Amino acid sequence: MVDVRSDLDAALLAAHAKGDGFELSRLYADAADQAERDQDTDAVCFFLTQAYVSALETGLPSASVLNQRLVQYGREVVQADLMS
Amino acid sequence: MNAPAGLKTVLKDVAKAKGLPNAHYIDPAVFEEERHHVLYANWAGIGFGKDIPEIGDAKPVDFLGMPLLLVRDEDGAINVYQNTCRHRGMILVEEPQKIRGAIRCPYHSWCYTLKGALRTTPHVGGPGTNIHDDIKRDELGLLRVRAHVWQDVVFVNIDGQAAPFEEANAGLLERWKEFEKPTFHGGAAASFKLDVKTNWKLAVENYCESYHLPWVHPGLNSYSRLEDHYHIEERGFYSGQGTLVYRQLTSEGGAVFPDFEGLSDKWDTGAEYISVYPNVLMGVHRDHTYAIILEPVALAETVEHIEIYYAEPPEHLPDGLVEANSKQWKEVFVEDVFVVEGMQKGRQGILFDGGKFSPAMDGPTHNFHHWVATNIEAGRAKSA
Repeated sequence: MVDVRSDLDAALLAAHAKGDGFELSRLYADAADQAERDQDTDAVCFFLTQAYVSALETGLPSASVLNQRLVQYGREVVQADLMS
Repeated sequence: MNAPAGLKTVLKDVAKAKGLPNAHYIDPAVFEEERHHVLYANWAGIGFGKDIPEIGDAKPVDFLGMPLLLVRDEDGAINVYQNTCRHRGMILVEEPQKIRGAIRCPYHSWCYTLKGALRTTPHVGGPGTNIHDDIKRDELGLLRVRAHVWQDVVFVNIDGQAAPFEEANAGLLERWKEFEKPTFHGGAAASFKLDVKTNWKLAVENYCESYHLPWVHPGLNSYSRLEDHYHIEERGFYSGQGTLVYRQLTSEGGAVFPDFEGLSDKWDTGAEYISVYPNVLMGVHRDHTYAIILEPVALAETVEHIEIYYAEPPEHLPDGLVEANSKQWKEVFVEDVFVVEGMQKGRQGILFDGGKFSPAMDGPTHNFHHWVATNIEAGRAKSA
């Protein structure tokens, strides 16, 4: 698993402290993108999961895309109603 | 102290009966029995729909230690769940809040929909893997508690064994069917609560009867005399009192609350006050209704949650009248506090034998005692 960069780590901690679900989801999704570039599948799915949970809790439309990405990795089941 | 034989006298006709023994008011063991056999075994009131008015509104309720969660879902329906995550038993929601998307457990972030379905189980199969063959989401939704909303009161049957609400309360629903129409909560001014140092049943018992009115509510004597009231008794179901001389509250300018539409003449000057067993006290009038949920916090500690409803939204009601009506009712309910607290103190008297009922005046109160005793005996028989 790749390490979370220190600046990202600080941003995540700040977002967690504020309970900012939108920012958390965005930051974790960014981390997942970086891990994808590093071809570290476990890290990708870890960060996608974190992003997905924040999106679900916050009611973000991005939850649908995050769900689909996790499904493509075989790490999640389809939540069809998120697409509605 | 709480021998079943002690309840036989409660089950006699009111003329021969004694009231529930002291233990039902002062013994923690009997309180625990009543929790299961009376409050959990029937349709108890735990909250109001007006407290979760919008989609996603969630309100946790502690009902005698049972953690419950009231949630309004996307269809506008009120759901009641056990407020406990199916994973490690963590409390899900600690404070009233708006659920924007999913109900997320704060421990390991298992997420549930507003309808209670288990949405995701993050990392349950290892880091980044949210599925596992042995985690069957369709079997792990939030545990739903049987619920029914009537007159904006959220009733629950915790043990799931009671007859359906409409069946258990068929007589009352028929009696008050004229009030099956939209009601509007009067807003912040129509909401108040009273903390009372009494067992919850004494508040029910006092509400059932009109016998005490001339002494405890002397202000009613001028227009609502004892002889203007009648008893309401349905053995095994509910009891209360009615009045024949309800008079609408009128502002200095002569304004009154609008009436509920379509009421029969009976309600021109009639009003009824009924204890919906076990713990909801309700009143209906031509121009307002109210509900009081008795929250049995502890053996001798009860919170009375009072909410008043009208035929139209508060912005359509005469200025100041909602406040005046609440003030009037609060004065009446506060006048009852010394009585219910005094009866609680009196039941520490070890020579008290449950009390002798007035056959003429205490029928509605005895009706409640009879119902409690019947439930306790049935529960004890099941537990034996």
